[in-house]
Amino acid sequence: MTESLSQPAIEAVDLVKTFGRTVALDGVSFTVAPGSVFGVIGPNGAGKTTIMRALLDLIRLSSGRATLLGTESRNAGPELRRRIGYLPGELTLEGRSTGRRLLRHYADISGPVATGRVDELAERFSLDLDRTVRTLSKGNKQKLGIVQAFMHQPDLLVLDEPTSGLDPLMQQEFLGLVREARGNGQTVFLSSHVISEIQQAADEVAILRNGRIITVAGVDALRDSAIRHLRLSASGVTAGELHDRLRPLAGMEEVDCRPTAAGAEATAVLTGGISPFVNVIATLRLTDLVVEEPDLEESVLRLYSAPGAGP
Amino acid sequence: MTTTVRRTPLPVFTKALTDSRRSLVGWSLGFAAALSLYLPIFPSMSGNSQMQDLIDSLPTELTRTINYENIGTGAGYTQSTFFGLVGFLLISIAAISWGAAALGGDEESGQLELTLAHAVTRVEVAAQRFAALAVKILLPALVAFVIVMIWNGPAELDIDLANLLSTCLLFGGLALVCGSAALLGGALTGRRAWGIGTGAFVAVVGYVFNAVGNQGTDLEWLHALSPYYAAYGHDPLINGADAWTVVLFYLAALVLGALAALALRQRDVGV
Repeated sequence: MTESLSQPAIEAVDLVKTFGRTVALDGVSFTVAPGSVFGVIGPNGAGKTTIMRALLDLIRLSSGRATLLGTESRNAGPELRRRIGYLPGELTLEGRSTGRRLLRHYADISGPVATGRVDELAERFSLDLDRTVRTLSKGNKQKLGIVQAFMHQPDLLVLDEPTSGLDPLMQQEFLGLVREARGNGQTVFLSSHVISEIQQAADEVAILRNGRIITVAGVDALRDSAIRHLRLSASGVTAGELHDRLRPLAGMEEVDCRPTAAGAEATAVLTGGISPFVNVIATLRLTDLVVEEPDLEESVLRLYSAPGAGP
Repeated sequence: MTTTVRRTPLPVFTKALTDSRRSLVGWSLGFAAALSLYLPIFPSMSGNSQMQDLIDSLPTELTRTINYENIGTGAGYTQSTFFGLVGFLLISIAAISWGAAALGGDEESGQLELTLAHAVTRVEVAAQRFAALAVKILLPALVAFVIVMIWNGPAELDIDLANLLSTCLLFGGLALVCGSAALLGGALTGRRAWGIGTGAFVAVVGYVFNAVGNQGTDLEWLHALSPYYAAYGHDPLINGADAWTVVLFYLAALVLGALAALALRQRDVGV
């Protein structure tokens, strides 16, 4: 962690990658601040894995450049990768050795690894290192992959779908490990299709679709832009009046009003700020009000599918 | 300061060797067994005129193809039965499968991606795996040398040990060329099957061109294209081998290994 704090941990500038006629990355730019956790979400095939492979110089960009920890990734020497921990999205580990021997091998390449570090990590994840890798379940192989990425305490962690195959308890353990890493000043770049996980772990989120970043936002900002489901009922008002009051509000959609015995009830979906809505309902005689937690998952899914969504 | 675990030098080379220790033992035992089946029966064959009559009665095309023309001497017999045929087949299979697995197979299975994400360059990975391949191939060649040497007296082979040494070096060198071609095929494509195809092409075409070139002067030019002929065409076990020929095989293998490293360096890995 010798870098000055002002230097980004990752700076990606206009990454373009084509495979034949397929455009995998179509001008992706983002910056990851040192000591932060940066998440990428997107549907399968959006380009998450391609970005990570390009950062590790496993594939070569058609154009654009990526700078990691102050070093350009293309043809970077081993010294850069010694400072990076990588977990591939499709993890394949050699099946014949034990977990311990395999970790030993990677430590030989990328070490040094502090004495006891591997055992400590294995214990946290209840992983038996003396079993042959081939006999491990998918989840246990994934744990081995996580230990492999974290054991040499790299300055930067690049983790592709790190919790895939882990049960909920182990997912929490992993998120704890990410928080610890951030606490140590390490930077974490991770991808996921589980939004709640990104929401818990990341400071910033990039949403990726068809090889483009749709938005980069802080998790809080994303939550602000997220949609909330509303349900309210009021007395002394007709369904038509209620509809007329709610409908003009910015971000108010899918307003559905029905008459009730005492007045009317409405359900709607609200995107964006909540205070205009609160001002409107303050004048009503409410008998019931439910504002659900913002649903990040649904708002992101809408972004994926919005036809006109662009950067 | 935190204490750290001591690290092994040349980890990729070391792992490539230790991972195949079982297969190395297996192949070496196979070589020893094949030699120990063939060599002890030489005295009963050389003193047996019926055997020579049998060979003489075979079509000359056949005896030329399988190089059985000099089978009457210990050196000719060992060359024809082992170095030129069964041994060549065995060591080629071993070398080609090791060479194809070293980069192509490793990439195809998805394991190379993770290795390359660690603190090692692609050229280092290719170079260390090439070196491991060379050691793995030379070990069975050494086994062949020792076993032939052991049987030399008891089986009345009467082979000159210097000629045996250069033959074993050519034997290993030829296999290393095939294995390096397999390494290159795998490095170019990231597929094990292409590696095997490339290596087998060199081995088989070399053998076939030698055999066809043996048939007559019209076809002798094929010898120039045959690594097999370059190794065995002048009967090194009988006549000894030119040091340059031996060196040339290892140089050719080095060139193929370097090309494999360059090919791997340029490519997108794991796509």
